[in-house]
Amino acid sequence: MAQKPDPVTLEVVRNALPAIANEMAADLHRTSYNMMIYEVRDFCTALIAPDGALISQNVGGVSHFVADLGVIIEDGMKRYGRDGFQPGDVIITNHQAVAGQHLNNVVIYTPYFFEGELLMFSIVRAHWIDIGGVSTGFGGGPSVRDAWMEGLQLDQLKIHEAGKVNEVLLKVIRDNIRFPDASLGDMRSQIAACRLAFRRLDELFQKFGRGTMLSAITQIFDETEARCRKVVSAIPDGVYEAESFLDNDGILQGDRVRIHAKVTVDGGKMIIDLSGCSGERKAAINSRTFAGARVAYKALTAPLDPVNEGAFRAAEVIIPEGNIMMARFPAPMASWSTVIPTVVDTILTALAPAMKDGIPAAHHGLLGGAVVFFGVNPKTRKRFVVQSLEGGGWGGRPYEDGESGSVSICQGDVRNGSIESIELRSPVLVEERSLRRDSGGAGRFRGGLGIDIRVRNFVEGRWNLHRPSRIDCPPWGVWNGRPGGTADYLLRVPGEKEFRSMNASQYPVPADSEVIVRTGGGGGWGDPLERDPERVREDVTEEMVSAEKALNDYAVVLDGDRVDEAATRQLRKSRGNAGAVKAGAVKK
Amino acid sequence: MSLRVAIDIGGTFTDLIAFDESSQEILQAKSLTTPSDPVDGLIDCIHKARLEPAAISSLIHGSTIAINTLIERRGANVGLIVTRGTRDAYTIGRGNRPEAYNIFFHRPRPLVPRHRTIEVQERMLASGEVREPLCVNSVRAACEVLAKEGVDAVAVCFLHSYANPEHERLAGEIIREALPDCYVSLSHEILREYREYERISTSAVNSYIGPRVAGYVRNLQTRLDGLKFAGDLAIMQSNGGVMTPAAAFRRPVMMMESGPVGGIIAAAQVGMALGFRDVVSFDMGGTTAKASLVREGEAAMAEGYYVGGAASGHPVMVSVVDVVEVGAGGGSIAWIDDVGALKVGPRSAGADPGPIAYRRGGQEPTITDANVILGRIGASDFLGGEMHLNRDGAIAGMLDRVGKALDMDAATAARSVVQIAIAKMALAVREVSVERGYDPRDFAMVASGGAGPLHAVAIARELFIPTVVIPRFPSHFSALGMLMADERHDFVRTFYCELPEADFAKLLATYEDMVAESNRMLTPGIAAAYQAFLDLRYIGQEFTLPVPVTPEQLAAGDRSAVRKAFDALHEHRFAHHAEDEPVEIINIRLVATGRRPKLALRSPATGGAATPKEIRQVYFDDGGPAVDCPVYRRDDLPGGTELPGPALISEYGSTTVLFPGDRLTVAATGELLISVGRA
Repeated sequence: MAQKPDPVTLEVVRNALPAIANEMAADLHRTSYNMMIYEVRDFCTALIAPDGALISQNVGGVSHFVADLGVIIEDGMKRYGRDGFQPGDVIITNHQAVAGQHLNNVVIYTPYFFEGELLMFSIVRAHWIDIGGVSTGFGGGPSVRDAWMEGLQLDQLKIHEAGKVNEVLLKVIRDNIRFPDASLGDMRSQIAACRLAFRRLDELFQKFGRGTMLSAITQIFDETEARCRKVVSAIPDGVYEAESFLDNDGILQGDRVRIHAKVTVDGGKMIIDLSGCSGERKAAINSRTFAGARVAYKALTAPLDPVNEGAFRAAEVIIPEGNIMMARFPAPMASWSTVIPTVVDTILTALAPAMKDGIPAAHHGLLGGAVVFFGVNPKTRKRFVVQSLEGGGWGGRPYEDGESGSVSICQGDVRNGSIESIELRSPVLVEERSLRRDSGGAGRFRGGLGIDIRVRNFVEGRWNLHRPSRIDCPPWGVWNGRPGGTADYLLRVPGEKEFRSMNASQYPVPADSEVIVRTGGGGGWGDPLERDPERVREDVTEEMVSAEKALNDYAVVLDGDRVDEAATRQLRKSRGNAGAVKAGAVKK
Repeated sequence: MSLRVAIDIGGTFTDLIAFDESSQEILQAKSLTTPSDPVDGLIDCIHKARLEPAAISSLIHGSTIAINTLIERRGANVGLIVTRGTRDAYTIGRGNRPEAYNIFFHRPRPLVPRHRTIEVQERMLASGEVREPLCVNSVRAACEVLAKEGVDAVAVCFLHSYANPEHERLAGEIIREALPDCYVSLSHEILREYREYERISTSAVNSYIGPRVAGYVRNLQTRLDGLKFAGDLAIMQSNGGVMTPAAAFRRPVMMMESGPVGGIIAAAQVGMALGFRDVVSFDMGGTTAKASLVREGEAAMAEGYYVGGAASGHPVMVSVVDVVEVGAGGGSIAWIDDVGALKVGPRSAGADPGPIAYRRGGQEPTITDANVILGRIGASDFLGGEMHLNRDGAIAGMLDRVGKALDMDAATAARSVVQIAIAKMALAVREVSVERGYDPRDFAMVASGGAGPLHAVAIARELFIPTVVIPRFPSHFSALGMLMADERHDFVRTFYCELPEADFAKLLATYEDMVAESNRMLTPGIAAAYQAFLDLRYIGQEFTLPVPVTPEQLAAGDRSAVRKAFDALHEHRFAHHAEDEPVEIINIRLVATGRRPKLALRSPATGGAATPKEIRQVYFDDGGPAVDCPVYRRDDLPGGTELPGPALISEYGSTTVLFPGDRLTVAATGELLISVGRA
């Protein structure tokens, strides 16, 4: 066996492995052809051992990619066997039986050999702008009934074999997707990023040798695990539960999607049991993913550290087959990640009684307000898609207010489209993008505000206006904080005076229609009657909170731009205690 | 007597370096920075160096006043005037959370509160057409509100003003009339590039720091005039060039990152003079190490950065020398983390309490302590012997905090600390070279800063860089670089269209317009050079690459040459390109340079043999015991000297380490050229 690596080697390897994944990400990010990659950063890059262990992964980008890469490599190893891979192979896959996400998330991976031995895989999962099927964009939405409607299914296929391109497969892909230039450009970027890793790995393996490298990786996993255990062991042992729901699955109205988390803390170990969540659905909000549990665990343990297999070894995740997050093929998965932000918030809320100072109230809980408009530019006669993801409010926190207008827990360095960039590219006008006054849940620490973005389309086209699924279960407060405002999609066509709430896919509208994409606010933390009246006054001055809300929710009486302290004291006293203090505030 | 003087005000020290053009002598002085009145400190430094202000022909000034005003949040009360519907564009920003898993993240905090952000009636389209004319009364009303709020600066940023700045200009006139005492920034005057959040932030920063910086520059000018200074005053900028005081009034935001750039300019020029056109500049001081790339004698640039870090910092989208910084400096602390792993930095003991060896109360072992333990820094010849270092204390501290936990003796622990620091810094150098598509094997490394020469050879070895250059005055290199800087102004205009359809006559006209704008900012009569770039990308991509173009190419409409150059650049940077993909233009850029006279330093003596001043026991990286190592005084090494490693070259403020296998040649001009041995 290899000797135990010395502290220097260990530290060098510990820094070098994430640097490789980050360099792959930087390369992909700068050369990709679609905004889902360069703006939304809807991708991840990683190194995976042949047994599926995560050696390193890029930091930033979309958080829910932190899980579910290893299973792809395990499956590939099963199909091809250790001897079935050769240098120069490039494998492409998106098949939901294993990959478990919408088909747009195309995985490219390449085997890495050192001195003739298969040691690991470099892998890039990235959201292609189109994968065929009924609609371009986000996999066609929840109404897609099965994977065949959703698009092209690629099941662990070698697009390069020993360096030779499989031209037939390439042509099949090119002929069956809508923007082949962009997507195949992205594929080139994915392959280039994978190959980039090889050069860096060669340097490391040559310098330290195979044995030392592999034992360093093992030890890095162990240390990362120990670090996480240490954090968890500070949480009192116990079994903690919380519950929430989505209004519906996008098809069956009124049939709520139950989300339930049972979290067991036992010393340094944490068991996240999601068995209580809804079973798989006919609507396409299914997935096969540990992402919800892993994102929550990561946020609780070592949010700023790079990720590797050790980062999750002390977390046991229970999701039985047939669960909405462990759906069996061919359950449809076009909107696979819909439930995840709510799952994360529910897990965190479960732990609120155990960690009063460590858990915020719920955030807007949706994957952002999606601005999606399809049209044809009359000048160029080319099709265009306007896309932007708008953030919402985050929950109030034990020491401060929640952030406003920020992307969900499932998205990290995901950016909205700048107004000028949107208008440069497409014939639309962004009339406003503003914070929604009073959308932050009241609390001792207020929830952050949601956003209204109002867009006018200069040419006819089709809007995606899917009603958000978290209206009946708004972003909840904790410790008697109030819920945040809910999201919505509103439309006004020419001739109409008022905007109306919508629920439609690819809804055709005439030129000069206006759409408001509205995002929710965050829940409040703590009793609003305990909020410093001076902070409430500032919020009124800043027009984050209206004078009515200041009076009704916070019992703060304003006299011009000053707090009437006596009247405020009086009013707060008369309001008294709101009832028993509860950690979570989720209704059934 | 004609003196060229550079004065660099840092957080702790004010550094002065003067070049006497008649004697070709260099003169240095240092004084403590006086934060309450930095101008005092600057004048004090001139007196201390016994310079006659009337004899100074040019004074180049670098100051941290701009960046400190922002970081310490001591700027103006700013009012912001924006297009209707975009009041919250500044607060919402891009909505991103770079720390993806951090539920306690902070978005950047705007410099202007919401109630001082006022929308006016106007709307421009992306094409530059007016959709809604500017309502003059709404601007006047905004001014009334801001007057009541007591603002002392205003920033104006309208949508698509990069395409048509007319509304901003008009609003500017009204504001200057209504609020005559206010400092005013119009976004198109700072940055004519699309993306409103970044432009708002840059303009807001400019207005936020504007009154204080403008007041400072004005005060400085007045005080110098009072001392009969009759030379040129020039202000150092983040882009590696200098500007006139008048330009600094308008765009103080250009001064923000002027601190590290002096050393990079100097590295470029020293490299060029020695025949190295491609250079990695490596500067290691007390708290950080900085790496940057010089190609063909030009520092690599970035078109913006985030003040205060990428996660929660303020975007400032102006040209800035591209620097990668890591938290590894002489004062970086070595520690054992909670699971027993050895870490170095990013926490630093700084100057106070400093490393244990400095005897100022430092308790935690630092990179400097490790070097003292290894014998690479001499305990008795530090700062020319002014400060006797406590090696025993360093050994005890290293054993206590690191050695015990890892079961290592002091030398092994010290060696481990230095090696980890080397690996970290090598990643930074890799980031500016390999990750930008450049092979470090083609580069020379120019090392500066107090700790740079100590570590440079080891880092170079790690990255296969064949040659290390230790310039003269390595610990005053940044101030020296300021003396070498040219005047420089960067301009950008968004010019969005597909390359084949681009109106090259209009591009040429834009180029000429930018040249005219630059001439208004350059010192009158200076020898000017202009370089234009087109920011290009494949349609569908977001990120652009700047492709150099000549006015002749623009006049000839030579699209294919531009196209070919872009494909080649893309291939070089990202290892693939796509000849069949359509390409679009996003921006046209202009760099206007005003040539300032070069320095001609007097060469040191040549001939004669070098004799070591002592033989010291020094540990190297082989894990073996300390070996006898000759230590030379740099001043004792005549030009042409050749020496094999191991050897130490000691000078005031720095020590150069040669390992066994390395070879040193002293250039005729006095630089140390080290041929790096293979491990």
